[in-house]
Amino acid sequence: MKEFVKQLDGYDEVVREIDISRKFGIDYRADRGKTRKVIDRYHPDVIEYTVTDIIEETPDVKTLRLVSKSGYLPPFQAGQYINVYAEVQGIRTSRPYSISSSPRQRAYYEITIGRVENGFFSDFLLGKIRRGDSLKSSGPSGNFYFNPLFHRKNSVFIAGGTGITPFMSMMREICDAGLERRVTLLYGSRTEKNITFNDELLDMASRFGNVTYIPVISEPSQRYSGKKGFIDSNRIMESVPDIVDCTFYICGPGAMYDFCLPQLEALNIPGKRIRKEMFSSSGDITKEAGWPAGMTGKETFNVTIKGGRNIKATSGETLLSSLERAGLVVPVNCRSGECSMCRIKLVSGTVFQPRGVLLREADVRFGYVHSCKAYPLEDLEIIL
Amino acid sequence: MPDYDVIVIGAGNGGLTSSAMLAKGGKRVLLIEKHNVPGGCATSFRRGRFEFEVALHQLSGMGSQEKPGPLRSILRELEVEEKIDWVWMHNLYRMVLPGRFDITLPANKEGAISALQSNFPAEKENIKNFFDLVYSYIVEWFKITQTKQDDISREKFPLYFKYHLKTAQEVVEEFFTDQNLQTVINFYWCYLGVPPKKIAFEAMILCLFAYIEFKPYHLKGGSQMMSAALTETLRKYGGDVRFNTPVESIIVKDNRVCGVVAGDGERYTAPYIVSNISPVHTYVNLMDPSDIPPEALYNLGSNRIGVSAFILYIGLDCPPREVGFTESMNVFCSEAGLDEGFLGLKTIDTEKDPFIVSCYNLDDPHFSPEGTSQVAVVCLKYGEPWIELPPEQYHETKYRCADTLLRRIESQFPGFREHIEEIEAATPITCMRYLGHPGGAIYGFDKEVKDTGYFFQTRSHVQGLYFAGTWTGWDGFQPTLSSGYSTARKILKQMSMEVK
Repeated sequence: MKEFVKQLDGYDEVVREIDISRKFGIDYRADRGKTRKVIDRYHPDVIEYTVTDIIEETPDVKTLRLVSKSGYLPPFQAGQYINVYAEVQGIRTSRPYSISSSPRQRAYYEITIGRVENGFFSDFLLGKIRRGDSLKSSGPSGNFYFNPLFHRKNSVFIAGGTGITPFMSMMREICDAGLERRVTLLYGSRTEKNITFNDELLDMASRFGNVTYIPVISEPSQRYSGKKGFIDSNRIMESVPDIVDCTFYICGPGAMYDFCLPQLEALNIPGKRIRKEMFSSSGDITKEAGWPAGMTGKETFNVTIKGGRNIKATSGETLLSSLERAGLVVPVNCRSGECSMCRIKLVSGTVFQPRGVLLREADVRFGYVHSCKAYPLEDLEIIL
Repeated sequence: MPDYDVIVIGAGNGGLTSSAMLAKGGKRVLLIEKHNVPGGCATSFRRGRFEFEVALHQLSGMGSQEKPGPLRSILRELEVEEKIDWVWMHNLYRMVLPGRFDITLPANKEGAISALQSNFPAEKENIKNFFDLVYSYIVEWFKITQTKQDDISREKFPLYFKYHLKTAQEVVEEFFTDQNLQTVINFYWCYLGVPPKKIAFEAMILCLFAYIEFKPYHLKGGSQMMSAALTETLRKYGGDVRFNTPVESIIVKDNRVCGVVAGDGERYTAPYIVSNISPVHTYVNLMDPSDIPPEALYNLGSNRIGVSAFILYIGLDCPPREVGFTESMNVFCSEAGLDEGFLGLKTIDTEKDPFIVSCYNLDDPHFSPEGTSQVAVVCLKYGEPWIELPPEQYHETKYRCADTLLRRIESQFPGFREHIEEIEAATPITCMRYLGHPGGAIYGFDKEVKDTGYFFQTRSHVQGLYFAGTWTGWDGFQPTLSSGYSTARKILKQMSMEVK
C-alpha cells in the first residue's frame, strides 16, 4: 500500500475491517461446482433419457415417453421444446420437439413424432427407437407458452398436424390443474381418420366446460359431418365467442402460417395477441418467397471453414445440415432461426435466408448468419 | 512454443478489450467464450420484432468527439469508435418517490444544481456547497494520479484526505438534512449495487461527475454492436475466438499458468491468462485444489458475492409518450432513505424495492421498430433466495414478481400493461445461466469501502494469471471495458520486460 494512503482519514478502520472479514471470511472452496449445479436444475446442457414407453397415437404418429437417467428433469412451461440429439446414418444431428406431456408432473417428458415425407430424423425415431433405448436432448427452451403477464385468459389454439404437440401440453396442464382459462382448439388435419390425440381431446372437451375442441378436416370422407376445409376467418369467428378478448396461438406446418395469419389479420387481431411457434425449414426451400430465380436447389458449392476444412454444400439444404453431414458438430437448439446458437460468421459469399430468422442488428452489420436458416448461393468462406 | 501468447477466458467487456488490445499489440491471442455470442452482459436477444438490450443503460466516460472522455479514447484506440453511432442523452435521471418528489436532473452541472435547488429550496446553499466539494474533490482526485507519491500530502490534498474513504451516506448527511434530497443525490447506488451507507463516496461521486461532464451515452444497435465491433478488431489483428467453448480447467505448473483445457477436451497452451470471469470460479472450479494459492483463498474470503437482478424486458406496441414516458431513465422508490428498499434486496418479493424503468426510444427513436417502445425494468436482488427456491415454484414465482412490478409501473404509466407486445423476465437464475457468475451476480462482489479503490484485490496469486472485469474493479460498462484495456497494457509491459 502506498504510504500516503495510510494517512487518509479512516484508513486504520478500513484495514481493521478487512483483517476481521478475512479472518472470519468465507472459504469459497465449499462452493466448488455449486453454480453449475444450480444452473443445471433449470438449464442442463444435456439430459439423458431412457425411452420407457412408445405409444402409438395413430399409424403415423408415436409418442415417446422419456425418463431421465439421472432421475431429475428440469421444470418447463407448457409449449416448450427439447432438441433431441442423435446419430442417424452416421450423421450427428438433432431436431426440436415440443414436449407434449403436462408440465405438472416431471416423472417423464413425452414427445410426439409424426411421419413426414423423406423424414430423415423422424423416420429414425419412429422406426429405430425401441423401448429401453437411450436418447439425449437439450434442456427445455422456447418462447411459445402462455404468459400470464399479458396474454388473455381466453386462448385460441390453431394447430395443424403434429403442430398439436405444444397445445397438448398446455391443455393437459389446464385440465390437470383445473386452471381458470378458456381454450378453443381449432385443429386442422387432412383426414378425419388420423387425428392425433382425437380421443383424449374429445374427452377433455366433454369433461371440462372451459375447453372447446373443433377438428377441421381439409380432405374429409363423404360421410364426415364435422367442420371441413381450412381454418379461415369465418371458422374462427363462428368458433370463438369474443375474438377481441383472446390470445391466439398458432403451430403447424409452414403453409398453415401462410394461410392462417392473413385470416387473423383480416379479423383485425393485433400482433401482440398472436403468438407463433417457430417452424423449421423442412420441405422445398426453392418454393419459399424470395428464393432467387434460376437456382434449382441442386447446385453444390465449396464452403471453406477458416482454420479448418473445405466441405461441399447444396443450395437447397441448410448450411447447418451440410456442416453436420461433413461430420462437424455445430451447437444448435431451435433449428428454426430464432435461438442463434448455430450462429456463424460469413466471411465471403452470399446465402439465402428465409423469413422467420431473428438476427441481431450487430449480426447483420458484421455478417453473421444462423446456419440453420442459411442456404448457400455461391462458394462461401465461414468462421465457426 | 506455446499455442498462444495469451488466452483470455470470457468474452465479457473486460475480455473483449483485453484480447483486442493484446492482439493489436502484436500478441497471439485466443479468446475463449462459453456462450455463442460475445459480450457477457453486453449483448442483446430477439423476441418477435424486438431486439432487447440486456444490460447497457447509460454509457459513461464517452465525452464528445472533440473532447473525448477516457472510454472514448480506449474505444478509439481499439478501432470501435467509428464503427458505431453514438447517442447522447440530455438528462441524468428522473427520480420519483410517489407523493414526495418527482425530479429530473439534466446532464450538466448548472442544470442539475438548479433542478435540485428548485425542488429543495431550503437546502439551496447546501446544494451549492456539495457540488463545490464534488468538483474540488475530483480536481484533487485527478491531480493525485499525476503526482509523485512523495509529493502527496494532506496539506496539498485536504479534501481527498478527508473524504476519500468516507461512505456516500456519511458525506450527504454532512451536507443535507432532507432525507429526500439525500436519496436523490444517492441515485447511483443502483449502478453500484450496495447501499449508500456502504458504498465509497468516491464511487458515487465519480459516477455523478462522469455522467455530468462526459454525458450519458447509448449506442445504435445496443451493446451487442460494441461487443461485435471489438471482436472484429481482435480478428483483424489475427486473434482467434472460440465461441460455445467453456473452459474446464486452467493448467498450472509450479504456481505459473501454462494453458487451459476446453470443454471439448482441447488443450491450449499460453504463458499468460486473462480471466474475465469470477475469481471464485477461476480458482475454485478451474484449478486443481493443490494449485490454488492459500493467500488467494484467504484474501477472497473477505469478499461477498454481490447483487444480481430481477429484470423485465418489455416491448410495447406504442410510442413511449403514449403511456406517459417523458424521460429515458426513471427510478421509482417506495421510501426515502432507501433503507426499506435495501432490506428487500435479499428477498424474492418486489413490492417495495426501488426499481429502474428505462426507455431509450426517447433518445433514439430507432431503439425499437417504428411506433413501438423498448422498456427495461431493473430491480436489484441477491441470488440466494432464488437459488433456494424449489424448481417447481420457479415459473410462478417469476411471474408473481414480474406482476408486482408491472402493477407498480402501471400506477406511474397508466395503460402500460395493455400495450405489452413482448415481455421476458430475467431472474438471478437467468443471470447465473448466461454469466456463469456465482449468485448470478451482475456487479461482481459487494463493493463496500473495504473492497474497493486502494483495497481492490486486482492482483492474482498465480504467475501469468491476470483478471479483468467486474470482479476485480468497479462494475459497469466503462470500468469493465477499461479494466480489460489496462490489464492488457500491464501484460504487454510485463512481456516487454521479460524480453529485455
